[in-house]
Amino acid sequence: MEIIAEGRGDYLKPDPAGFRAWVRDHKPRTLINKLMSEREAVQRFVSDGDYFAYDCNYFQRGPSALIREVIRQGKKDLWVCGKFTYVAVALLVEAGCASKVDIGFVGFGPWLSKAVAAGRVQTYEYSNVVMTYRLQAGAQGLPFIAVRSFGGTDGFPHSGAKLVKDPFSGKPVVLLPALNPDVSIIHVHQADIYGNARVFGTGIAHVECALASKKVILSAEEIIETDEFRRDPGRTSIPHFVVDAVVHAPFGAYPGAVQGRYTSDVAHVVECFGAMMQGNLQPYLEKWVYSVSSHEETLEKRVGWKKLQELQRRETIREGYTV
Amino acid sequence: MTPATHFAEREHLICTVARMIEEDKSYWVGGGGEPLYTILLAQRLYTPGVQYLTEDGVVSPKALLPFDPLMTMVASGAGYRALQWGTMNTAGNFAQLGYVDVGILNTLQVDRFGNVNSTVLGPYEGGRGRRFGGPGGADTIAAQCWRTILMTDQQKRKFVERVDFISSPGFLEGPGAREQAGLPAGTRPWRVVTPWALFGYEEQSCELMLMAVSPFVTVDMVLAEMSFTPKMAPKIATLDPPTEEELTVIRSSLDVEGQTTGRGQWIELREGKYVFAETQGRE
Repeated sequence: MEIIAEGRGDYLKPDPAGFRAWVRDHKPRTLINKLMSEREAVQRFVSDGDYFAYDCNYFQRGPSALIREVIRQGKKDLWVCGKFTYVAVALLVEAGCASKVDIGFVGFGPWLSKAVAAGRVQTYEYSNVVMTYRLQAGAQGLPFIAVRSFGGTDGFPHSGAKLVKDPFSGKPVVLLPALNPDVSIIHVHQADIYGNARVFGTGIAHVECALASKKVILSAEEIIETDEFRRDPGRTSIPHFVVDAVVHAPFGAYPGAVQGRYTSDVAHVVECFGAMMQGNLQPYLEKWVYSVSSHEETLEKRVGWKKLQELQRRETIREGYTV
Repeated sequence: MTPATHFAEREHLICTVARMIEEDKSYWVGGGGEPLYTILLAQRLYTPGVQYLTEDGVVSPKALLPFDPLMTMVASGAGYRALQWGTMNTAGNFAQLGYVDVGILNTLQVDRFGNVNSTVLGPYEGGRGRRFGGPGGADTIAAQCWRTILMTDQQKRKFVERVDFISSPGFLEGPGAREQAGLPAGTRPWRVVTPWALFGYEEQSCELMLMAVSPFVTVDMVLAEMSFTPKMAPKIATLDPPTEEELTVIRSSLDVEGQTTGRGQWIELREGKYVFAETQGRE
């Protein structure tokens, strides 16, 4: 295949054969109880140097409690999948957890220039859909995916993409390297103890993320019986065998919203977004991550039951989110 | 429809784009600010049946307004009563298949060929430029929708000969460049709209072409806020001001806090003419 142009950016090398071998050797096929604390899940399944993906973001049905736990445990040198993000990448970079970022959208602000200038983080440029297509290829066990976008941009030279002559038509087409993250964290509405999970409403690429990743941690608003899945299998988003850990995390997306369950905490969103825009997230990290030991303690000591009830009350829409 | 007597520049921008929306076309709006407001405004006043898509794969919702800050995607209000809920890849697939007629996007900078910069102002390398969030979904929207409408401010630093970074494609280097880069044939930038002016593109050269100006500015004022000279349409039209009905929707349902529209200058009707207001900002 003739290569017309290629990006110079470093990228996580696709290895479909290696991924299959990982699945053969590490993924249990039987129903085993994977319920554990957020601390244990992050200790066991997030390693320094991992390629790290999350679905959705810190404000929109993202795994916010798990992101805070990753920061609390001081994970290092993560390569972050920065798609559809307002603040999560900024938090991970400011906390010293991330050293590389693939950028789709990461929320604007002075923090990124500062981190790049200081040599604390290396950036590679993509777009949101380009990143979710890379995950799609990873979720299919393929080495790459062809797309009809991204060519001609200035992101292209800072990526792992290639512009090639399509061997079938002879026309130019962009190829993206498949993405198989080492670990992904996903927040879901419901899961059972084995990792079967349901996401209601829209998402970004939760299914692709789960299938494409070597290690998968779910946090769930609610733990339900496996029989519930058997009663309505059409609503299963993620099957148990791709999942490594299940964390019961009510309000696990806080300060973000979970559709049909609770709204975002507007004051907190403004506090966090404002801190990022001003380029100083340290006081935020101190208050919301380092000075508390767990998600449960965060809800108890920093948020309070009254606020949580208010957030539930403010979510008035139920259509499509109940079983 | 009552012509407004007092409005913000960006309210005028939203209204101008909202009136360009056609009932029988499908839209993908980028992000959650002005582009989303244009379709919501049009849906409420002009084109109730218009179909639109957001980045999280929501198909044609009846959004419950107003939204909490930033809650414009993966949020129950934004996806309320949609026809389908999908994901980012389903949205991308619809566009790549040719189902999306028009994309509406914001940009930090635009150039002669309609290229979009949402990544960095100044140099990219070494963190020396002023960094922004990246293309988000805009790269796919600009590459795959049949036509793209860009929204930005009329400022010299925003209309430049060549954007500092092409985050999302316009005509790239000119005629034929999109196809050579692997983008679908027949897709193209279509309009650039600012609070002060409306631009199209000259067919032959693919270069930006001034088509109309707002009633409170002159052609010379618009040209003075550009770093290059655009092509000129044979006749430069004058844009209509917002109506009171449009402003009521924007202020009561869309940008209630004035976070988006509160910036920029205000315009008022004084002695039969639209002029910049002496006092600025929304009280």
